Amino acid sequence: MQESIRNPDFAAKLALAYGEMLDGIRPALQRVSMRLVGEGKHAELHMRNSQTQENYVWPVKKLRLIADQSRNDALVLAPKEGAAARLVIRDRHAAMELLKAVPRIPSLGRNPGAWPKIAVLGAMAAMSLAAILFVLVPHMANRSAEYIPPQAELALGDTAYQQFTAMMGATECKSDAGDAAVTRMAAAVTQGVDLHMPLRIHVVDHPMVNAFALPGGQVVLHSALINAAETPNEVAAVLAHEVGHVYHRHSTSATIRDLATFGVVGMVFGDYLGSSVMVGMTNSLITSSHSRAAETEADEFAHQQLTRGGLPPSALGDMFRRMQAEGSGQDLGVMRHFSSHPEMSARIEASEAAGLGSGAGPQVLNDAEWAALRAMCN
Amino acid sequence: MSALKTDFAGEKGDMFALALKTGLLTVLTLGLYRFWAKTRLRRWYWSAVRPGGMGLEYLGTAHEKIMGFFVAIIALAIYIAVFNLVALEVTVEVMHGGISPQTLILAAIPLLGFPVFFMARYRTRHYILSRTTWLGVRFGMDPGAWGYAWRSCMYWLLTILTLGLFWPLKTYQLEKYLTDRSWYGTAQFKQHGHPFMLYGLAVPFLALIAAVLYVSYEVGRIMLADTQTLEELVYVSWLSLSYFLLVPLIIIAGIYFRVASIRAMACRKELGDGMKFEFNPKTRKLLRIRFFGIWLTSFLLSFVSSIVLGLLAGVMILLGYEVDASLIYNTPPGIAILAGLLSGLLTFILWTVFWHAFVTFPSARHMAETLVIEEPALLRGIRQKQEERRSRTGLLSEALDVGGAF
Repeated sequence: MQESIRNPDFAAKLALAYGEMLDGIRPALQRVSMRLVGEGKHAELHMRNSQTQENYVWPVKKLRLIADQSRNDALVLAPKEGAAARLVIRDRHAAMELLKAVPRIPSLGRNPGAWPKIAVLGAMAAMSLAAILFVLVPHMANRSAEYIPPQAELALGDTAYQQFTAMMGATECKSDAGDAAVTRMAAAVTQGVDLHMPLRIHVVDHPMVNAFALPGGQVVLHSALINAAETPNEVAAVLAHEVGHVYHRHSTSATIRDLATFGVVGMVFGDYLGSSVMVGMTNSLITSSHSRAAETEADEFAHQQLTRGGLPPSALGDMFRRMQAEGSGQDLGVMRHFSSHPEMSARIEASEAAGLGSGAGPQVLNDAEWAALRAMCN
Repeated sequence: MSALKTDFAGEKGDMFALALKTGLLTVLTLGLYRFWAKTRLRRWYWSAVRPGGMGLEYLGTAHEKIMGFFVAIIALAIYIAVFNLVALEVTVEVMHGGISPQTLILAAIPLLGFPVFFMARYRTRHYILSRTTWLGVRFGMDPGAWGYAWRSCMYWLLTILTLGLFWPLKTYQLEKYLTDRSWYGTAQFKQHGHPFMLYGLAVPFLALIAAVLYVSYEVGRIMLADTQTLEELVYVSWLSLSYFLLVPLIIIAGIYFRVASIRAMACRKELGDGMKFEFNPKTRKLLRIRFFGIWLTSFLLSFVSSIVLGLLAGVMILLGYEVDASLIYNTPPGIAILAGLLSGLLTFILWTVFWHAFVTFPSARHMAETLVIEEPALLRGIRQKQEERRSRTGLLSEALDVGGAF
């Protein structure tokens, strides 16, 4: 009792209280009396089983608290990290006195030594993840886009289109004369090209200047884009660019890539991103964030097809420049893409130098057809 | 000493608070906290289950979970690089042949997942047991994942091929395989009983399967004949209607069999030399908890997106924007994406919280309260087993959440 005088309060209060101890060897509770010996860092928790006369000494600085107990009816302590023995103090008063005497007992399982190891493994995992997302998945997406069964691609495209119309509140525009104009324009920009599936062009009523390609041979033209164009050739140029995406199956591989990416990312961050997956995916298709290489391929396709159809490739540049001057629409898709493509401007200038200005020369639609196309969404 | 009854010491409100807190932290840390969340929720449940008044303890740590998870990502990268890429290239090569063997190969890939799934199941059990203690003594499990995997594959195949005839045998043999390799301290568990003892419990299920087969045979016999009389057509339509009754009944009979077989086998387990158990969860009660829990969870979650949109509208009004009905009928894309993201996150948090409060918690409580340990005096003969090298095998499956009930 000599030492405990240094903690007279605690000794007095604890002397009446008993704890239940598990020695980590036998599955049996022992009733032990407890007292705190010494002070500060060197304090020790002494326990004594009066029946067996056995004594147990736990250094206080190594004590660990068992956290997240379902009911706050006992204080459960371990002598140190990794030990199997436990002390259960059910007496609220004794528990509070102990916590007052030893205020900061860390929780069991809080092992700061593990963090460097976690950091190294984490860095390796991050590299693996980057390899999956930026090398493996895009490669596989490009390869499988060529071999995806046509029904599957159609289904993918239809789902994406339905989501687009639902999300953006867009409605499809139809008129016999307008459809005929669209067909005529499509025929002009697909001359001599073998697409893997029939082209389907949707004209939708939407105030945003935009156009994009979807899987399953679909191209969506916004009414605002048609209205913003001054000549039919400008619309044809945008259409040719989007058909280029269809020809190279960019949207299909982008969809496969996004699906796989979101699957992997969802696994990494837990399932809870799953619900935002569809939102994000549709969004990335509408804003048509294709890679630079994909855009260049689509440009080259457009350039080749417009030239083949006797239309000026510079129409695309004209439209873009006017939109930029008006300060509208550049934020989206096809428009944004030109602002980051110096080589395209260079090519446009080259074709202009060759005397192929868009204002001059034949137009892809006659006046009546052009009027019908512009009236489709009225 | 008399038999030890089991208490479940925990309140639904406390579980709700813990699940909500850890769920919020998980979202705020972009999912990183979920290893801690899972650890903490398990510690809570384990400490609530108290045979003889003393709670279990869960020793698993968030650190080992996060490390297992990182290893799983690295393994996934290697797996995709080596396996999927090769499979894809092979598919592409074969495709040039003409037909569509690609579908065959794609269909075969998931099959390779089955042994892995069963191994993961064994190792999850191994992991959980080796990190559970009661009265300061650890549970444990011998290695045996490969044996479990091929047995599972075989019994599953037989069960599917015989339309369920092997199900009771499969259930018994696989549970026996797991039980006979489990330990509490130095005492080993043993599964007694007979391989065919579960057939009695499966009678309703098998009878209903037979009924479906009979109905299908009758329908097929009549409809495939060249002509049908009016009476036959009426008979066939009555038979077809019976599907609507038979199929839900089969599901219920299947659930009954699962719970009843767990009950029957638990009562024939022995620990060491003579410790026995009673475990009597009620099918009806578990079904009621689950149906009610699913209904309540979905009902409450159905309000999430409208509440989020409403809150966003409120914020916009506070910021001085004009808000009218077009916000709902013609939502601007920016708002739609924001509302979608917020609803997704909130739905995730609340789903976990409600699921714990309305399904996991009541099920765990019911099951715990039906557990009785007989002859607890025999605990005196049990000692802590020498600590095996802490198995990390289960961590991979743990990280990918295979078969984790909690």
